[in-house]
Amino acid sequence: MIKLTNISKSFGKHEVLHQINLTVEKGEVVVILGPSGSGKTTLLRCINYLEKPNEGQIEIGDFNLDYKQANKKDIHNLRQRSAMVFQHYNLFKHKTVLENVMEGLVVVQKFSTDEAKRKSIEMLEKVGLGTKLDAYPSQLSGGQQQRVGIARALALNPEVILFDEPTSALDPELVGEVLDVIRKIAKEGITMIVVTHEMGFARDVSNHVVFMDEGVIVEEGRPQDIFGAPKEERTKQFLKRITSEWAYSI
Amino acid sequence: MKIDPLFILTALLSLFKALPTTLIITVVSVSMGLIIGSAVALIRIYKVPVLHRIATAYVMFIRGTPMLMHLFLIYFGLPMLIDGISEAWGLPFQSNQIPLIGFVFISFSLTAGAYMSEVIRAGIIAVNRGQIEAAYSVGMTTAQALRRIVLPQALSVCLPNLSNSLIGMLHASTLAFAVSVVDINAQAQIVAANNWKFLESYIAAALLFWGMTVLIERATSRLEKRINNHNRGGVA
Ligand SMILES: Nc1ncnc2c1ncn2[C@@H]1O[C@H](COP(=O)(O)OP(=O)(O)OP(=O)(O)O)[C@@H](O)[C@H]1O
Ligand SMILES: [Mg+2]
Repeated sequence: MIKLTNISKSFGKHEVLHQINLTVEKGEVVVILGPSGSGKTTLLRCINYLEKPNEGQIEIGDFNLDYKQANKKDIHNLRQRSAMVFQHYNLFKHKTVLENVMEGLVVVQKFSTDEAKRKSIEMLEKVGLGTKLDAYPSQLSGGQQQRVGIARALALNPEVILFDEPTSALDPELVGEVLDVIRKIAKEGITMIVVTHEMGFARDVSNHVVFMDEGVIVEEGRPQDIFGAPKEERTKQFLKRITSEWAYSI
Repeated sequence: MKIDPLFILTALLSLFKALPTTLIITVVSVSMGLIIGSAVALIRIYKVPVLHRIATAYVMFIRGTPMLMHLFLIYFGLPMLIDGISEAWGLPFQSNQIPLIGFVFISFSLTAGAYMSEVIRAGIIAVNRGQIEAAYSVGMTTAQALRRIVLPQALSVCLPNLSNSLIGMLHASTLAFAVSVVDINAQAQIVAANNWKFLESYIAAALLFWGMTVLIERATSRLEKRINNHNRGGVA
């Protein structure tokens, strides 16, 4: 379980997150929706401590931490409990596909090279890249790079995988292959928090939808409720706009 | 006056005597420069309290003054400092126990460190911020992320400039003659004066430096190819 309590974050005077409370059950697939600038990325980054909230607490598995009092060891500890899949993949570009996945296992989790290799190959096969082990990221398509990113996160066996718009930097014809992989691992019961603008995908993989606007959670609930019968005016507006854009682009 | 081509060869042979001196000055100053430069670059990028001001002042001072001046400042200043400390603490150490080349090592390392810190700093800054974030995200500490992810990529970015620094220090090592250390250039002067054949001796010295420079350039481009393997484009 992951529990965020009263998370607030400002950049200078600009408050980007305002007292966010969110609970994610084990095995849940949470989708975060919201307009640009509403703080979705910042929230994910706080969970992975890529951003330091001004205040708030996080509980993740058997570990909890108050952001105000976190020391280096706590931060290191927290980071090991989640893994991020980045919008722009952020693969280690001087390392091969296999090395990218092995890196965290060997350096952080102290696997032996053999074990790390075995596990990494298994993960890469799962995302359909068993034949690209020795390629460098620059030799892969965007969709393939993002699948390596997913394998890298998956291999670490974290409490939660955080996806920040994993398909928004991709050419349209490559979106499907990445979403298929995410669907597949969602079915395995891995806890995930996904920021996405892919409404169809959000609807059919998630079991918990969160709608954010201007740094607060406006509404959350089961996908059928949020998509079928949103209660808040802002949610309705957003869904109306995004589904019409979506229909328009077809 | 006529040029004596054969004497160029004679001079060249006698210059080889001084080759080790030139090489050791270059190797020591560049290796120390690499260490000092990396430390200074990291201190400045991470704005380590207090230290980063000292580091900035150091780089500004060294880059703002000629290298020969650094050598003289160390050569004349350091003995005073050392003897002063020795006397104050009652230590037996005397500055005249330091060999002349020691002053060259110290001063040239400081010079190289400042210049190379700028090269390394630019290299580190050029590494995408996403790389260190990805390293954090897989659970690495800052030290692990720097050592395994950021520095190797920075190195491949700044390799051409580091190679320039190496060549620069090789050529600048000729300044060591100012404190009576006999490097290739000083040796050429000795050979020239003894035989009254200046042009020939200096041509020989120039050839020797040029040869070493070409070797460095070759080695660099080979290394560059190997390190930049991963930058190949296209689909495998
Ligand atoms: N490092 C930063 N420094 C200053 N302001 C920032 C920084 N990062 C984000 N912001 C601001 O915080 C707000 C929220 O940004 P965030 O990236 O979390 O939004 P988002 O919901 O992910 O938007 P998008 O859908 O466009 O990705 C924005 O107004 C943004 O300009
Ligand atoms: Mg975002």
